[in-house]
Amino acid sequence: MSGSSDLELVPARRLVTAPVDVVFALAPGDRPLVTAGDSVVVGAPIAERLRDSRLDEIIIADPAEARPGAHWAGNAKRGEPRGPGGEFMFLWRGRWRVATGDIADPIESPFAGIVRDVRPGTAITIRAAGRGLRGVMALGSPTRGRLRAGSDRELRSGGLDVGSAGTILVVGSRVDAETLTRARAMGVRGVIVAGVSSKERRDFLASEARQRAALHRLPPFAVLVLDGATRRPMGDAVLTLLGALTGHEVAIVTDPPMLVFDRPALAVPAPPADLVRIRAGMFAGREGRFLEAIGARRFAGGVHLEAGLVRLPDGTTTTVPMGDLERFV
Amino acid sequence: MTSEPRAFLALDAGAATIAASLIGRIAGRWRLIGSLALPAGADPAAVASALVDRAVAADPDLAGSIGLRAGIAADLPRLSVASHRPQRLAVVAASERALAPLLAIASRSGWRTVAASAETTDPLAMSRLLLESDVRGILVGAGDPPAADERRGLDELAALVAAVALRRQDLTVILAGGMAAHLRSFGDVTARPGEVLLGPAAGRGHAGGPLGELLLELALPADDARRALGAGAQTLADILDRRVDVVEIGYDAGSRAGAWPAVGNGGSGLDLAVASSAALVPDDPDDTFLDGVARWSTLGADRHRLRDRLHELRIAPWADATGDGAALRMAAARVALGHLAASTPGWADRPAADLVVATGGVWAVAPAPAVALALVDVLRRPGASQFALDHARLLAPLGVIPDADERRAMIADLADDLLAPVGTIVIPAGLRPRHTAGALVVHGATGSTELDLLPGGLSLVDLPPGTSAVAEFRFRDTVRMGATGRHFAIDVTGGLGGLLVDMRDVPLRLPDRADRRGELLEAWQASLRDGRAR
Repeated sequence: MSGSSDLELVPARRLVTAPVDVVFALAPGDRPLVTAGDSVVVGAPIAERLRDSRLDEIIIADPAEARPGAHWAGNAKRGEPRGPGGEFMFLWRGRWRVATGDIADPIESPFAGIVRDVRPGTAITIRAAGRGLRGVMALGSPTRGRLRAGSDRELRSGGLDVGSAGTILVVGSRVDAETLTRARAMGVRGVIVAGVSSKERRDFLASEARQRAALHRLPPFAVLVLDGATRRPMGDAVLTLLGALTGHEVAIVTDPPMLVFDRPALAVPAPPADLVRIRAGMFAGREGRFLEAIGARRFAGGVHLEAGLVRLPDGTTTTVPMGDLERFV
Repeated sequence: MTSEPRAFLALDAGAATIAASLIGRIAGRWRLIGSLALPAGADPAAVASALVDRAVAADPDLAGSIGLRAGIAADLPRLSVASHRPQRLAVVAASERALAPLLAIASRSGWRTVAASAETTDPLAMSRLLLESDVRGILVGAGDPPAADERRGLDELAALVAAVALRRQDLTVILAGGMAAHLRSFGDVTARPGEVLLGPAAGRGHAGGPLGELLLELALPADDARRALGAGAQTLADILDRRVDVVEIGYDAGSRAGAWPAVGNGGSGLDLAVASSAALVPDDPDDTFLDGVARWSTLGADRHRLRDRLHELRIAPWADATGDGAALRMAAARVALGHLAASTPGWADRPAADLVVATGGVWAVAPAPAVALALVDVLRRPGASQFALDHARLLAPLGVIPDADERRAMIADLADDLLAPVGTIVIPAGLRPRHTAGALVVHGATGSTELDLLPGGLSLVDLPPGTSAVAEFRFRDTVRMGATGRHFAIDVTGGLGGLLVDMRDVPLRLPDRADRRGELLEAWQASLRDGRAR
């Protein structure tokens, strides 16, 4: 068998994704400020999100204007620029149930794009201008900042400084919750990391929930996890791409979990076709050249799996289950 | 399919792995030539090519006789099925009492469910739940006629759901039981893209009944592997004239197909359950799942480490499948089996199936006896059953053949090839704790084997695949093994694991202390791995 056709047996992972459709979730009462087909620029408000929504009963003078999902605008009190607002939910015994609230926070688009779909109470979908680098999960809320190299290994909380405010940091293999909360407090807009352990993820999410409940909120902050929960270095192809984006404005979005960048002129260098990365096992995180598929082999635990032969940078070759390999395309 | 091609491919595109099988017509019969399983991220065309090219390289004469040559894979006919991630169904009712049976049926009918009742959830929270972007259908139900505790809330519930249906025209809405009387609240339903369907009320029994069948029909696309698995199981039961239980644990859901042949005046039948709760690892493994895996795990990892590994398993289910990774999978598979059993509670009262077939990607990474042990650890029914492994994941692709006669002919030809016999497992129940429970004599073609039956352990008798014997049990006390008695003579067949007599408790009780539990699990696994009785 030839190595080139065998290579297609290795699971492929797309390095750069385009187009990118980003979903911003809405809840009943949240007010979309855009409609399908609108163009949005970076930082444009696309919706208002209610902090503590409630359901009020109201009687509508003109029933024709009321339908489920439509915006309800109440009469303004004297001296106030605008009256209460809300969203018609359903008609019950001659009264409309309206989702409303007292405090609303703006949701801003962290990238430029075109609004594809608006569903009040459900979601706004925007097609981003640009391309994306997909992660396995994103924690926090959509954000934007200048990309900056933070650490090529593991970033500690003491390694942060105020000069990082407004940036999205690339921090290498792993990061802990303390570093993330400290980064958020110092004005860092986001973190890109290969792995976050489950404990650190839970701790950070709990901290994030407390922060969201506070009256005075910090700017949006997001963590993009590229690989998973265990410690392993980022792939060379990913590091090369992030290196090319360093110093430029990028966005992290949460649905899908992705780094979005709008650099049309950026030529993303294609990784060598036979370059493979080992995801798991004793060589996890290492990269090498795929030589050939060698059929089923017996591995530890009495398991028979399809295997491939990989040449590591030190010149040695090793047999790796095909499932433990990945290649960037 | 017609009878003209001499070879074809069967593809099962799972969420975690792709399984490809090559089938050829040899000496007037369809035979399995070879199979291959690779991670789902691999190119399916490359997988098919690799399989065909390997078959040609291994035996050019055989390949030539069925028209195979290198590079021909793309031109071969194929039967394809795919596993789909279950979609989300919001289940709502006026009362908690009415909600429970609806949720039980929906949860075993191919959907991921979220649920709320008007009794415990305020209208705003319920609207939020129904409007979530990943919700694809709403099941709103009531008793038929509605019970007294439901009537008060039904009108408001109908108004709320109708308003959501008006906003989300793409949603499928099922009005079950007494809720059908509120159809007029939904206005003109003929013009909307999503259907509004009237369904029967949720039954009180464990089986899904007509409502379950309706939900399964809506949930599973035509080429869905789990739908086809049901058809395949039914055909297999008809061919073998045996009760067949097919158990599948997948990345996004688990399924169980119980099929029985026509007997006397009773017709053949099929009961299919697809439970998203029986996925190998949930999207976000919670503490309950973690506790379950820790209970079955022999890894000795701390909770944080175990949670990380489960999270990794969810992200890349095909990776880290050797050594500890294989053990972790089998522990997670046992938890998933437990969820599958919990979603099919009525099955525990049925007679033990004559043949239990394990299928799905998770079983591909474990030796056959370890698969059998995982199954009997969780799905414990007194009696004797043959166990087999659908090692090439062929049953689902064959189940997709639309013509019943053609499907039957194909599976009849391939039955011996598609099932790797694991062996016969005998589980007596009602054993009293004592030094010895009795004796077993296995009368084989080459002689007899005798051994003591020790309560609480596993006894293994070497019985190779293709052989059969009579196992004569003499218990000191009365036990249950389908029938109740002290003396049983059972026809058994061999397999990769031989004859396994499982003298452990029914249901299985594990020590609370982690170290003792780990030792016991290790001992049971070692007894099968090394072929020694414990």
